[in-house]
Amino acid sequence: MANVEIRLPELGEGVTEGELVSWLVQVGDKIEVDQPLAEMMTDKATVEVPSSKAGVVKELKVEEGDVVPVEEVLLVIDASGAGAAPAKEEKKEEKTEAPKAAATAPAPSQSSNASQNIQPPVAESHVLATPSTRRLAREMDVDINQLNGSGLAGRVTREDVLGAQSGAPAGNSKIEAVAPARDIPKPAYRGPQGAVEERVPLRGIRRKIAENMQLYKQIIPHFSLMDECNVTRLYKMRNDLKKVAQERNVKITYLPFVMKAIIATVRDGFEMMNASIDDAAQEIVYKGNFNIGFAADTPNGLVVPVIKNADQKSIWEISAEIMDLAGKARAGKLSLDEMSGATITITNIGSVGGTYATPIINHPEVAIIGMYKMTDKPILRDGKWRAIKSMNFSCTADHRLIDGAVAARFLTAMLGRLENPARLMLDMY
Amino acid sequence: MANNFDVVVIGAGPGGYPAAIRSAQLGLKTAIIEREFWGGVCLNVGCVPSKALIKAASQFHKAKTNFDSMGIELSSAPKANMSKMQKYKQGVCDRMSGGIDQLLKGNKVTQIFGEASFSSKTELSVKSSKGTEKVTAKNFIIATGSRPIEIPGFAYDEKTIMSSTGALAIDKDVKSLAVIGGGYIGLEIGTFLAKLGTEVTVIEAADSLLSGVVDKDCVQQVSRKLKKLGVKVVTKAMAKGQKKVKDGIELSYEVNGKLEKQIVEKVLVTVGRKPNSDQMNLKGIGLDIDERGFVKVNAQMKTNIPGIYAIGDIAGQPMLAHKATHEGVLAAEVIHGANRVYDAKTVPAVIFVDPEIASVGLTEEECKAKGIKVKVGKFPFGANAKAVSLQETDGFVKMIADAESHVVLGVHICGPEASNLISEAALALEMGARLEDIALTIHPHPTLGETVMEAAETTLGHPIHIMKK
Repeated sequence: MANVEIRLPELGEGVTEGELVSWLVQVGDKIEVDQPLAEMMTDKATVEVPSSKAGVVKELKVEEGDVVPVEEVLLVIDASGAGAAPAKEEKKEEKTEAPKAAATAPAPSQSSNASQNIQPPVAESHVLATPSTRRLAREMDVDINQLNGSGLAGRVTREDVLGAQSGAPAGNSKIEAVAPARDIPKPAYRGPQGAVEERVPLRGIRRKIAENMQLYKQIIPHFSLMDECNVTRLYKMRNDLKKVAQERNVKITYLPFVMKAIIATVRDGFEMMNASIDDAAQEIVYKGNFNIGFAADTPNGLVVPVIKNADQKSIWEISAEIMDLAGKARAGKLSLDEMSGATITITNIGSVGGTYATPIINHPEVAIIGMYKMTDKPILRDGKWRAIKSMNFSCTADHRLIDGAVAARFLTAMLGRLENPARLMLDMY
Repeated sequence: MANNFDVVVIGAGPGGYPAAIRSAQLGLKTAIIEREFWGGVCLNVGCVPSKALIKAASQFHKAKTNFDSMGIELSSAPKANMSKMQKYKQGVCDRMSGGIDQLLKGNKVTQIFGEASFSSKTELSVKSSKGTEKVTAKNFIIATGSRPIEIPGFAYDEKTIMSSTGALAIDKDVKSLAVIGGGYIGLEIGTFLAKLGTEVTVIEAADSLLSGVVDKDCVQQVSRKLKKLGVKVVTKAMAKGQKKVKDGIELSYEVNGKLEKQIVEKVLVTVGRKPNSDQMNLKGIGLDIDERGFVKVNAQMKTNIPGIYAIGDIAGQPMLAHKATHEGVLAAEVIHGANRVYDAKTVPAVIFVDPEIASVGLTEEECKAKGIKVKVGKFPFGANAKAVSLQETDGFVKMIADAESHVVLGVHICGPEASNLISEAALALEMGARLEDIALTIHPHPTLGETVMEAAETTLGHPIHIMKK
């Protein structure tokens, strides 16, 4: 029989791991090439992992809820087709002679007291580890022979052994987040006696959102700035366009105009708003392209689809793309690529409710622009009351890079463009 | 008498006494039984006395061969006084043995002097001048060691037909000596006696000295020096018999199918040692013993009988004191409940011939047999300032490393203080060091230790003090 290991394939650019949400196959199942094996949750979305081989499932190597690095073995199948023989652990029993000196270590168990099993087994000369590390492993009941050393030449380090016990896969040097991982306290929660509670595992998208938000809020010193904008002219313009839009079967919202206003304003001396901080390199990264994310509320939770190269697209194109992506988001069908690579994000929470919000920046971006509900408002101008269409905006920025005055000037300049869409047109390419 | 213990160690050699001390340190009620000397063979008739005599003989030899060239002039030729030398040796042994006695007392180990034998799996009877007493214990550690093998026709009288024990007690000049067995014990004793003026002939059954266990280049180096010292080496030779004649002992041996005869004053038989597993009624209580006489143990030194452990020479090769010590401590800790097994990567071997040989890990041949691709480098003591100043330039440090990972697999040293230099190499092996780790460690100058660093550099292909081939 031919046992074949199926590993977690690349899930998308920059994605190094995924969480196994659920298995779609079981031991004993016959599977075809491309048949979905499991649902994996990445930073961005849940994807189905297709099988690269056909055969019979012999062993599932990870459990639901496990975080699996790319290239890790997911499952073992018998690719010979029949799959009659029972699964057999493929453990290499190295029966090579130990070095002369070490050979004097009496072979284990040949005459041991029957009841006494020595676990883990005696390390033969193959494992590269210091004597104290070997002893530590034994005391912790970690089989050092099974660890992949993270040190030079495969050396098993003390940290590998400690990590192996805490359950982390040893030797998988995870790609560090931009900021060094910090110790976040994990306090237990105990409700008062008699409390009516239900406990549900923190899994999937929700866990990912929780982790990300905690990380972003920790890394970035946020500050927010709010202002309101007279969007009467924009409102009129959009109304005028409604008929044309209907003919084209495209719904034009205010979102693409806000995108265009952001792009024009950034180009007008606010490059720092479309940038990142590379903490590891201690460098500021200014971005030449405008990939604008927009937060979408879906039954599964928050997702952020991205309009790529929004500066090179017409409002028609952007509008059509927004419709497409929003539809996919609600259906949970967004691809990873459609959710990655944003350089700045817009949240449109106002369409749900509230006058202002203080959103969290989608790290490694440095700003998130909030737009809120449009309302009718009276304003006093030239001694007369007039009715206008008003809209609230917020600008939340990374205070490490963006000074308060810079954000204020940016917001003012951006709102100026939205108040006067004709001017916005002048900025367009 | 409350003769019930947590741990009873039988044999107070280099395996037994550390086992007893560690047991006591761990709070176990411990006794140790010894029938002959505290410190065992090692301290009394083995390693330690031989080192004292080897040192004395090489000092004497140096006085004869090196003093003049170093500018030291003696008014008369140096003379070896064998009986004084014995006193010096005995002083060393007594001091060390007395130290063991103190350590055992200080650690509150009950010392019982007598000959022990198992009357059951849980009880010993100990015979001594005071009579016989019963000793029971929850755990026994058998550390009763080994003894020289006797060959037919050569019964030891320790005067003319000697084992190492007799040879280390020689207190008069010996004119001529035949050594049967060119292993490390025979060569150590043969060399020091040759330095003291004895005509030495070594009769070895294999086709080279120190066969099978030692790096071939090291053997070659030592063979050359033996020749220089006037030692006659006969290989592929079998001792056939001996008889007393007027001038001494007529030794007959067969070489190339021909019977040779030689008259010598004394014969030293060093054909190996055998475990003392035929004693103490070990078979009687059902202990598993293999065909070579070693008590079978697992990696925790446990025998087939629960509560009985065996360590040191009696528990298997290599029969070396330092291995016994390691096992003894390990057994004590296992009894105390620690999760320990024997997992040392290497046991260093040291041979006090001239020049000294010391090695750890694999030889080139062993690597080849295992199919490991290796890099090998050799650095000669002749290129080392300290060795030159000592006028001990014979020999080299040979390093063997995995060709790809550069992890050090074996180190073989033949040269001055090889026995002291090898510990660095042993540490390197246990730590899984790479050639670069040794090469990049600053070694003090001018020392013999620099040769280890230079050997690593040589293996990497860029030594400083010798020309690359």
